[in-house]
Amino acid sequence: MLLQLNHIYKWVKQGGKRVFLLNDISLDVEEGEFISIMGPSGSGKSTLLNVIGMLDEFQEGEYIFDGEPVHSLKEKQRAKLYKEYIGFVFQAYHLIDELTVYENIETPLLYKNIKSSERKALVADMLDRFNIVGKKDLFPAQLSGGQQQLVGIARALIAKPKLILADEPTGNLNSKQGEEIMELFKELNTEGVTIIQATHSESNAAYGNRIIHLLDGSKQLQPQN
Amino acid sequence: MLKNYIKIAWRNLLKNKLSGFITIGGLAVGLTACTLILFYVAHERSYDSFHTDSDRIYTVEAQVNMGGDSIYMNSMNATVGKLTENASPAVSSSLRLKEEYKPVIITNASQPGTRFSEKDFSYADANFFDFFSFRLKKGNTATVLSKPYSLVLSEDMAKKYFGNQSPIGETLSVRKDSTYLFTVTGVMENTPSNSSLHPDFVASLSSMPTIKEFERDFDSEAFRLGSFPTYLKLNESADKSAVEKTMQELSIQGNAEASDVYSLSLLRDKHLNGRDASNTRYISIFPLIAVLILLLALVNYLSLSTARATLRSKEIGVRKVNGASRKSVALQFYVESTLYVIFAFLVSVALSVVLKPWFFSLLDIEIDASFFLNKNFLLILTGLLGFTVLATGFYPALVMSAFNPVENLRSSRTSKMGGERLRKVCTTVQFVIAIALLISGVIIHQQLDYVRGVDTGLNRSDVVMVTLQNTVGTNSTPFRNEIEKLSQVTSTAVAQYPIYKGYNMFFASSEQVPDATGLPIFSVDDDFFKTLGVTWETKPDDENFYSKSDPVIINEAAISKFKLGPNPIGESLLFGNSKREIVGVVKDFHFENLDAPINAVALFVNPKTKATTNILGKNGGCLFVRFQPDSNVPQLLSKMETIYTQYDSATPFEYQFLDDAFDAMFRSEERLSHVFNLFIILAMLIAGMGLFALATFSAQQRMKELGVRKVLGASVLQLTTLLSFDFLKLILLAILVASPLAWYFMHEWLQDFNYKTTIHWWVFAGAGVGAFVLAIFTVSFQAIKAALANPVESLRTE
Repeated sequence: MLLQLNHIYKWVKQGGKRVFLLNDISLDVEEGEFISIMGPSGSGKSTLLNVIGMLDEFQEGEYIFDGEPVHSLKEKQRAKLYKEYIGFVFQAYHLIDELTVYENIETPLLYKNIKSSERKALVADMLDRFNIVGKKDLFPAQLSGGQQQLVGIARALIAKPKLILADEPTGNLNSKQGEEIMELFKELNTEGVTIIQATHSESNAAYGNRIIHLLDGSKQLQPQN
Repeated sequence: MLKNYIKIAWRNLLKNKLSGFITIGGLAVGLTACTLILFYVAHERSYDSFHTDSDRIYTVEAQVNMGGDSIYMNSMNATVGKLTENASPAVSSSLRLKEEYKPVIITNASQPGTRFSEKDFSYADANFFDFFSFRLKKGNTATVLSKPYSLVLSEDMAKKYFGNQSPIGETLSVRKDSTYLFTVTGVMENTPSNSSLHPDFVASLSSMPTIKEFERDFDSEAFRLGSFPTYLKLNESADKSAVEKTMQELSIQGNAEASDVYSLSLLRDKHLNGRDASNTRYISIFPLIAVLILLLALVNYLSLSTARATLRSKEIGVRKVNGASRKSVALQFYVESTLYVIFAFLVSVALSVVLKPWFFSLLDIEIDASFFLNKNFLLILTGLLGFTVLATGFYPALVMSAFNPVENLRSSRTSKMGGERLRKVCTTVQFVIAIALLISGVIIHQQLDYVRGVDTGLNRSDVVMVTLQNTVGTNSTPFRNEIEKLSQVTSTAVAQYPIYKGYNMFFASSEQVPDATGLPIFSVDDDFFKTLGVTWETKPDDENFYSKSDPVIINEAAISKFKLGPNPIGESLLFGNSKREIVGVVKDFHFENLDAPINAVALFVNPKTKATTNILGKNGGCLFVRFQPDSNVPQLLSKMETIYTQYDSATPFEYQFLDDAFDAMFRSEERLSHVFNLFIILAMLIAGMGLFALATFSAQQRMKELGVRKVLGASVLQLTTLLSFDFLKLILLAILVASPLAWYFMHEWLQDFNYKTTIHWWVFAGAGVGAFVLAIFTVSFQAIKAALANPVESLRTE
């Protein structure tokens, strides 16, 4: 078991009343799964990903990641945990505009205090693997959306995470680019990386081996088919 | 990691060139101003401290009671130094340094053509180069001044008289009343600019007893006042009060009735705290201005860098998600800030070096270039750099590192956070400083104008004062005649000294005030009143009053000082044994600094011919020349110079305009005014730059809001007003804060003046309007640009 959410509640107060962003979410994720989270806008997809990614807090419930109780960990330990095991991919890519492709991919390694020579080797491998060696000195603004997302994924993978969290990874891409990215995820998944993606698109969701439907912060029963 | 930070800092700078330029440029300009002021202040404070034993070198002073006034004298009898040295174990050595008070004419004996009039000629004891730390280039410290008629030249003088030849062993003839020959025994380095002693020529004091003009200076062996400025070097950790006590005892031993009070003061303190320190009057205000300017630049930097940083909230989010801890983000911004500050600092050092000559000519001071490498000054600079790095790096690092990644990434645009309120405070503070400086500057300027225009009882315009030395001799009469013949000259007059440059002090008494009282005396001729425009209160009945035996003319202040009757004509004043009858009274006129109320004065009037031969010719005096208002002044001066050289080729032609001499008394105020002018411009520039950049950021941040408003039908004017109003509110607040502050400080400042201008309300209104216009101009430029932008552009990116 990679991670386990038990009765997670997250709310904000509005006019004295609680508005639930996540309402009693329980979820078990095994290593090697590819999960798609679906739901309309505002259903809590991103919030759930942020909670899983330990970027966001929740008020009630338990979260166990790789045997560690995240809900009772201190900020520092939690940061250490996600630094080690989790990679993020965003809809808007979120590359640093002032850094080149190479430097963007290198960034997570800097924060893990990896030696310069080793960093070079790891980034070179990654560039090679994604076939973007020729673009390593370009800045994000010089790339197409698909290429930027490729760099985003490369950056997420560079630290060899166990889990990739992808929030609408194809949302800003055209369908062909989107398909390529999804194929890439599938490939990564077969190599053993656990992936959780949030998506609007049925067809993208179908790449996963499990689909979770959210509505107003609650898990819906899987529609029968 | 560090490399990565530096790299991204550099790229960010290139990406936002304008705001980067403003951020760093503003800081550099502020630092430059600060550096220059600190340079000036450090120099003023370093006076005489280059002497190795500057903490133990004292000057001897005596407080003397003269006709009710306390006067400080620093000239002692020739024996005072040695007597004290012998009597007090605390004194390690003593030195006498006597300056010629009039220029001497020096000639290279082997090249009679090389002849100049020299002002800085001194006589010193043989231990001069041991006592002080002036360095010899040539000659032996111990022996250069040991023999009579030895002479040490400064490097400049050696070059002036001997060119590139070695002057050692050569002879210079020095003309006073008689001529004396001195042998050059050494060459010393030019005295540094922060020395209060700056002799160009140092002759051995042992020559003096055989120089006829100084004979009387060695008449007495007593411990009393005399004509030698005297310096004492005390032993380490010696107590100066013990020495002062010894001196007091010595004084009493010599004359039981002596009431003079002797004291020691550190030589290095005299420049700033001496009794005649008007030149450095505002030395304590300058650092304050430096701090204000620095504050302005720091605030500007802070406000801009946080604004810049909010544009980078996304980057911070990304970094955090990729594993950056708060510490590493803070460190990144700190490194970045340090880099910018160092950059600004280097620019400011370069700017300072370039602007230094200009700045110091503005202040009318000279400072050796080598002082830039002075240890203390470098220390101050390093401190400034360190402080700036700390002050500017801390806050952005703190604010930026606290950004929450989820918040930042959710909105792909920049979010509205990171010291919004701080920036408002910063802008307000900047404008408070700028406006307060502006108001103060205007008031200082008005005050200067006011005192320059004060009716001082003299007609100061169109008068040139020519100082003559006794080298003119009997030629003074033909000289004056020829000057008077010039068509532009309306009249001339003679006095012993130029006005504002000194007077003789006599002791006088009247029947009503029988105690001898100090009274300034002008020895003049009868044209004095006409030429200088002195007005009569009671004009003498007899046009030729001066032909009477010993008449005196007094001013109104003298009437009250000597408690004379309302019409004192016919009464008399007693000067020692000679009685002088009062024949006329003139209205009060200023002949000293305006700070003091007009003192009593008595004028001894001589017939024209007698005055010309005696006052002007025999002793060397001052010829006042009044010319027609529309004269061609340079032409007149060159004519006068031609006439002058015809009658006196020994002393160069020297002149000063009366109004210039008057204005020169306000040099420190003028300096202050210049500095204020400069810093008003700087302050406005920095504040304006800051505001401009902030307006840019604000427009960027509110791009979406503006787009939405425009789609909903807002006009360009409405949008411009919306954007500008936020800032103008702050300016208004700044005006409200700055006005009373400036009023308070200027009101205090004016209390020091005898004549003060009134502070007008319109100065405040004017400064406020000025700041407002500047603000509207800078803000609306950006606001209009933002308002004109196509809303489709700004909304599409969402």
